[in-house]
Amino acid sequence: MVKYLIRRFLGWLLMIVVATNLTYFLAWGYLDPRSNYVGRRPPLSEQQIVQQLLPRNLSDTVPLVERWWNWFTAIVTRWDWGVSPVGQVVNEQVAFRMWVSAELVLGATILTTVLGIALGVYTASRQYRLADRVGQATSIVTMNINIVVAALGIVLLAIALNNAVGKRIFYVTGSGSRGVEGFFPKLIDILQHLTLPTIALVLIGYSGIHFLQRSLLLDNIKADYVRTARAKGLTKQQAIRKHALRTSLIPVATQVAFTIPTVFTGAVLTETIFAWNGMGRYFIETISNNDIHGTVAIAAFGAFLTAIGALLSDIAVVVLDPRVRVS
Amino acid sequence: MSDMIDPQVHEKELEFEPGNEPAARKRMSKWTLYSRRFLRNKPAVVGIFIFLLLVAFAIVGPMMTEYDHIDMDFLNLSTGPSAEHWFGTNASGNDNFAQVSIGLQRSLMIAVTVSVGVTALSAVIGTAAAYFGGWTERTILLIIHFLMVVPSFLILAMISNDSGGDWRVIAFLMIFVVGWFFPARVIWTMALSLREREYVHAARYMGVRGFRIVLRHLLPNIGSLLVINFTLGIVSAVMTETGLSFLGFGVKIPDVSLGALIGSGANTITSAPWLFYFPAAALTLLTVSMALVADGLRDALDPTSAAGGRA
Repeated sequence: MVKYLIRRFLGWLLMIVVATNLTYFLAWGYLDPRSNYVGRRPPLSEQQIVQQLLPRNLSDTVPLVERWWNWFTAIVTRWDWGVSPVGQVVNEQVAFRMWVSAELVLGATILTTVLGIALGVYTASRQYRLADRVGQATSIVTMNINIVVAALGIVLLAIALNNAVGKRIFYVTGSGSRGVEGFFPKLIDILQHLTLPTIALVLIGYSGIHFLQRSLLLDNIKADYVRTARAKGLTKQQAIRKHALRTSLIPVATQVAFTIPTVFTGAVLTETIFAWNGMGRYFIETISNNDIHGTVAIAAFGAFLTAIGALLSDIAVVVLDPRVRVS
Repeated sequence: MSDMIDPQVHEKELEFEPGNEPAARKRMSKWTLYSRRFLRNKPAVVGIFIFLLLVAFAIVGPMMTEYDHIDMDFLNLSTGPSAEHWFGTNASGNDNFAQVSIGLQRSLMIAVTVSVGVTALSAVIGTAAAYFGGWTERTILLIIHFLMVVPSFLILAMISNDSGGDWRVIAFLMIFVVGWFFPARVIWTMALSLREREYVHAARYMGVRGFRIVLRHLLPNIGSLLVINFTLGIVSAVMTETGLSFLGFGVKIPDVSLGALIGSGANTITSAPWLFYFPAAALTLLTVSMALVADGLRDALDPTSAAGGRA
């Protein structure tokens, strides 16, 4: 098992390295750090621009291969991902933004999964009854609402609620207020900021898992072994919970593991709308500011998450499925 | 012949008249079967109705107002819906009705182009990988897995931003960088079982060339999946394009798309909410209606679908 996972991990690692280096060259093709200095008042001379960019390994007077080599060796030897055109250290940026995003994404992913599976089980055991029909109809609508529309709609509702109550219950921007002291005030402050973006992410995310869980469970409920379990004297609920659910969780677990990177991209839009300073915001800032090193670091981060998701899904399959044996 | 044929009623008749153009009659009954199954799914009918209305709006809408989407009416800056400007105006005096209809048109153009491209590309690559096997299959799967690691949305944003928001560049990238590989992998797994079928073996032993077998024998047999993929592809293309334009990396002024309109409407969401409501409504109607149509098509075309009911 461990050997198998290590082999898979090395395979993914190789792909991450190739993808990151490819992004480095692509980024140099489409982002130009020099253009940040064009149109400045007073205008900077050619030499001044080069002086700014050269120590940051961003000057195009140096051959591309040499720039790449400097960048690559810095990462391999010192884990130094470089600096932005204005001198921000990429490592520091990623280190703190990662946790801002994680705060949003982790909670949303867990809620999405639990809600999706619960709804899937509930509606599947009531196939074609009213609850199932209503659940299906709601899910097909929420699944196809764009995250932008959902988030902005929630912002509008929250503003209306705040106005109606006359107090700020939910904050529509930022991930936390400054100057809040104490554990409970801090917790409440976090919840006030976290609730709305989490609702937005859960609202558009849960339905995918709902549909998957429902159809898988329906297939399994009709299977012979579930009928056998019923014949032994289990109630329908027990048979579903102990026999059908366990088998049908395997593909769901795979799916959830693979959604981790997509949740992060979904968070790009959510973070923009709710003004969270996470990885999603960083993504937009780096591209708009021709920050090549930052862009490549985000690419590597995304690739790393995909690999983690893939490995987690491998582990989930091995743990949940007794038929799978890896040695 | 123009009547719909109910196989249960006409079964005997068909049996006793073997010479009565069975091929033509069968073909007819296949399509009636599809359309009947589709029409039985009421949400799908509503969906296609809404979709047709939206398409009509995107085509006819721009001709219905005297304002162009780039015209500026300096007497009406940021005014709400009125008799003159049905959907209101933005801060520069652009007519929101004209902008929404043009934006819908642009979004639809991108979505249909991308979905056609993605469906065709993923179908050919996926089935070819399954049929040829060996190193072809391994190479294609390696590329697919590699593309899953590559941050495609980032590359899309970077190149599209650099191109100045030309919609043709965006559509091209969305086909080749973002769209094709995931459906291709699904199609590959579907086609794996097809390559062992007798008619594929028969064709091979008849001396039909490999790629011809892929196009003539494998592809038609996953046709229903492709139709559904195409519809869902429109939804996901609209979603991606909206996200891209919302962030400001997609379609740019003076060109408009629904995402760009929502993006600018988001800045004035409390002072001029109509700039958000109308494009958001158009977008939501578009994606939800297409999803309903896809659902109906699945019932109609998928022989294993349980939701089809009788016939």
